[in-house]
Amino acid sequence: MNVSILGSGLYPFGRHEGVGPIEMGVAAANDALSDAGLGWSDIQFACAGSLEVLQPDTMIKHMGLTGIPFTTLYNGCATGGNLLLTAANAITAGQADVAIAVGMDKHPRGAFSVGDTLESIGLGQWYGETGLALNPQYFAMKTMRYMHDHGISEDCLNRVSAKAFRNGSLNERAWRRKQISEEEIAGSPMVCDPLRKYHFCSPSEGAVAVVLCRADIAARYTTSPVQLRADVFRTRRYGSFETLTPSTPVRWVPGPSVEASREAFEAAGVGPEDIDVIQLQDTEAGHEIMHMAECGFCADGEQEALVRDGETAIEGRLPVNTDGGLLANGEPIGASGLRQVHEVCLQLRGRAGAHQVPGSPRTGFTHVYGFPGVSCVTILTSS
Amino acid sequence: MQRGCPACPSQACEEVELGRSGTLWTWTVQHFPPPHPWTGNAREFVPFGVGYIELADGVRVESRLTENDPARLRIGMEMELVIETFFKNNEGEEVVTFAFRPVEG
Repeated sequence: MNVSILGSGLYPFGRHEGVGPIEMGVAAANDALSDAGLGWSDIQFACAGSLEVLQPDTMIKHMGLTGIPFTTLYNGCATGGNLLLTAANAITAGQADVAIAVGMDKHPRGAFSVGDTLESIGLGQWYGETGLALNPQYFAMKTMRYMHDHGISEDCLNRVSAKAFRNGSLNERAWRRKQISEEEIAGSPMVCDPLRKYHFCSPSEGAVAVVLCRADIAARYTTSPVQLRADVFRTRRYGSFETLTPSTPVRWVPGPSVEASREAFEAAGVGPEDIDVIQLQDTEAGHEIMHMAECGFCADGEQEALVRDGETAIEGRLPVNTDGGLLANGEPIGASGLRQVHEVCLQLRGRAGAHQVPGSPRTGFTHVYGFPGVSCVTILTSS
Repeated sequence: MQRGCPACPSQACEEVELGRSGTLWTWTVQHFPPPHPWTGNAREFVPFGVGYIELADGVRVESRLTENDPARLRIGMEMELVIETFFKNNEGEEVVTFAFRPVEG
């Protein structure tokens, strides 16, 4: 893709009493514009996404009513990746030279509800009334089967969470700043076997914005653009095991994360071995482990040794979720995917501070996954 | 019934009766009261098992399990269909749903 990222801004994820999601989105957009050295009047196309805000495009009245096209979209936990793709597509289609993608959310506490009616997500009401239709159950059951098939231990789950909270403690803008020991994680209450409280991320609040432009004009605005080499959005095929599915065929096909990753590597002309910093959807510890294999960074089962040996730590060979990921930042759904992009931009520009990957990383990878079997992958490089 | 086939563009779907027994493909135990639209009473919540039962018909069906003790659930065990009461409505009537239980022995 001939698209560059000029700047990014983050309204820190967490809990912000009295601050609305639009206000957070506006703050993130202003930060991203400032980082890019641009003003709102330079933006020719905008898109925004949120679960809780019906029309996040209403933020434009706080930015300036400049008459530009402003699209909104929502694709579950894959919203952020698709926001970046939509802005990039507007640029490659010739609709705009400079565009902005904004994700924002502010969720109530507790597990995500599927909404007032399951009809609104294409499922029968009985499915929720009987106590099914819960994402944590799916995360747990996919993890349970994977651990059984590929010899992943509970220790591995605990190490993934401990690593996330360690990274969060190094990131001054993370929500969870306190390190939590493997022992404390292992002793935390069971939520859905085999996953415990500290294996899960929590819904949170926050916003991220990213400013993009045509790659051939990026040098006008900045000396350190980040290149968007690939941005691939995929939905499931019949046979992959996805969240909120009352039945699924025995026939197996690769999931949307596998397909999106493969296509992104092909489009970018690089392989998993070329990636210096990795952000994966870690809704809980089990999915960070499974997504390492689904995205091509290891074979099934190799995670046990990789995680034990610290290879996924910031200083390891495969640094995963260097800002603490969803586990240490929580998940404002509309913003989460763009947080990963923001983190990779910081890493590639050498601005990540205490959680900076050593050795000047040049290539980064982001991955989101969510309901109803959707995934978005980006590959970014420093030049 | 769903009209369109999820695997191909065909609209020619028909109803097929599935078997009543299979094997436990994966499982978990729900340890906290589910949010809306769960119809149970959070004050009287008892953890319950959930699993996917692999049937010989080529499909895995998600279901409540009658067993909620993790020590008595294992992948691959034989399971059979039962009807269980999961809730009493405001009129005091028992509302039933399907569930799977481990086959004894």
